[in-house]
Amino acid sequence: MSNKVFTDATQMSGGRTSDDAIVVMQDVYKRFKDFEALKKINFQVGKQEVVVVIGPSGSGKSTLIRCINRLEEHDAGRIIVDGTELTMDIRNIQEIRKETGMVFQSFNLFPHLSVLTNVAIGPRQVRGMPKAQAEALALELLERVRIPEQANKYPSQLSGGQQQRVAIARALAMKPKVMLFDEPTSALDPEMINEVLDVIKELAREGMTMVVVTHEMGFAKEVADRVVFMADGEIVEVGTPAEIFDNPQEERTKKFLSQIL
Amino acid sequence: MTWMRRNLFRSWWDGILSLVFGALAVYVVWALVNFVFVTGRWEIIEVNLTLLLVGRFPAEELWLVGASIVGLAFWISAASSSFTQPVENKRPWGARILDAVQRFGLLAGLGLLLIVLAEGMTPIYWALAIVGGIVAGRALGATRRAFAWVGKIPALVWHALLIAAPVTLIALTLTRSTLDSWGGFLINFYIAIISIVLSFPLGVLLALGRRSTLPIVRLLSTTYIELIRGAPLFVLLLLAGVALEFFVPVDLAPGPIFRAVTVFTLFTAAYVAEIVRGGLQSVAKGQTEAGKALGLNTSKVTFLITLPQALRNVIPAQIGQFISLFKDTTLAGAALSVLEVLNIGTAITKQDDFLGQGYIYESLAFVGLLFWVGSYVMSRESQRLEKRLGVGQR
Repeated sequence: MSNKVFTDATQMSGGRTSDDAIVVMQDVYKRFKDFEALKKINFQVGKQEVVVVIGPSGSGKSTLIRCINRLEEHDAGRIIVDGTELTMDIRNIQEIRKETGMVFQSFNLFPHLSVLTNVAIGPRQVRGMPKAQAEALALELLERVRIPEQANKYPSQLSGGQQQRVAIARALAMKPKVMLFDEPTSALDPEMINEVLDVIKELAREGMTMVVVTHEMGFAKEVADRVVFMADGEIVEVGTPAEIFDNPQEERTKKFLSQIL
Repeated sequence: MTWMRRNLFRSWWDGILSLVFGALAVYVVWALVNFVFVTGRWEIIEVNLTLLLVGRFPAEELWLVGASIVGLAFWISAASSSFTQPVENKRPWGARILDAVQRFGLLAGLGLLLIVLAEGMTPIYWALAIVGGIVAGRALGATRRAFAWVGKIPALVWHALLIAAPVTLIALTLTRSTLDSWGGFLINFYIAIISIVLSFPLGVLLALGRRSTLPIVRLLSTTYIELIRGAPLFVLLLLAGVALEFFVPVDLAPGPIFRAVTVFTLFTAAYVAEIVRGGLQSVAKGQTEAGKALGLNTSKVTFLITLPQALRNVIPAQIGQFISLFKDTTLAGAALSVLEVLNIGTAITKQDDFLGQGYIYESLAFVGLLFWVGSYVMSRESQRLEKRLGVGQR
């Protein structure tokens, strides 16, 4: 948790990009019809860095990370992931998607495939890995998220927490350079939140680069290298967990924290 | 008694309704039984049984038709038992027998009726051969599950080997007869099967085309679907009977059965396309997103993620469309003079022995029975398929 790569001033200015940056967003702008979802976002994620994005709903957190793997198309600005810039070129988009793993709020497991196949499908179909090898990898990852015994079940036979852990294993199977978590615990029953957060924490300890959108402030305090506070499509404040939670500078940050804590 | 009071006579109004409809039901059943066992003159069916079932198929080649049907039974039974896990064998024999009766009782009953009507040993041998084909198929399927080296044969090769049996027999049948000598219920059956097999992939392609991001593909698919769905099937069949002569010299023009299959395929494909499109829309957006996020390209997302789920969701509508196609094959008789079963069923009432004596009731009842049994089996099997694929629970 010590590798905080950038000073806050650098991220806010967004001018220069470090060699260490895996995700770089420069002046990114996105609108849905009349609604400005992202306004001039400047943002970087360094190698092995854990960035937690917080903010009120509708503030653009999800849109931000969905732009990183082109599930949403940004209207202006540049997004560079692992040295590849997101353009209309489908090859670049595919390249970036291979290097980014995503975990969704609603799991989005493939219901017609077994748990094992869900995890193996990425390496098999995208990386062309032989079936036996892909399944061995899948089983290894299922062990890592602590549900190897569910390998031959179907997603609907698992609890929400188990499903989300499978989804994490599925994303990890592509050996991504950065993991994107879009509110991974928001759809879970309270008693299942911790089993999922524990897996994410372990990933963080192992040095996985990740961007996590969440409402779990305890988790943010514990795991984040940096916390990004967003409101109305803008990054309002960036800092270490201590800076943001104990000594927020901006009015909007203070107001948000007072509402939820 | 309590049940009756609660369900039939809860109030005086309920009581009257129960009495009226009860009487009606009794009357209908009585009329039916009376028709089947007393007043019905089934000799018209007995005399013309072969004609109704296979038309004017050359008698000396008839064994090939029987062999094809045995081949089909073998293939269906082998293919359906090759890849399913041996499940729930613990169920009591009573339940399993009841299940088998529900599935195949009606079909077996029809077979028995035909044997009785045909009088003679030959149909019994054929019935035994069909049962033998089914048993052999299941045994072969079990072999695949039991022996590792058989299991190693790739699924595609395995299916190709299995389907080779009926395809060879049907091809052989075709070399020994002309297609246009086929007739009777046999031709209804084959027109339906071939049209189903051809229209399904075409319909899926059209559905994907209509959702394509390429404007030309989308426009072509949409135009096709809306044009075909806007025309009555009967009109299309009549058109197929005359319109081809505009484009092709008469002696090169294909026969009526070929035309019928073409029309049924093209017609059904348009409906299948809309059913499948509905299925694709029912798959949650998150599925596509999850596939894309993994790095799967568009066609892999479609063929591995969304399409399998879509097809599973639309099994009931899909089977409904195919049942309707099966019954619509009777239109080929009126529109294209194909000697299918209804065409023959009406023609035989004009034979010298039966003319003008109202034999049409018996004839239509028999034709209707054939279709009812066929549709019932399709509908039941689709319910099983749905259960097996777990629609609505996964």
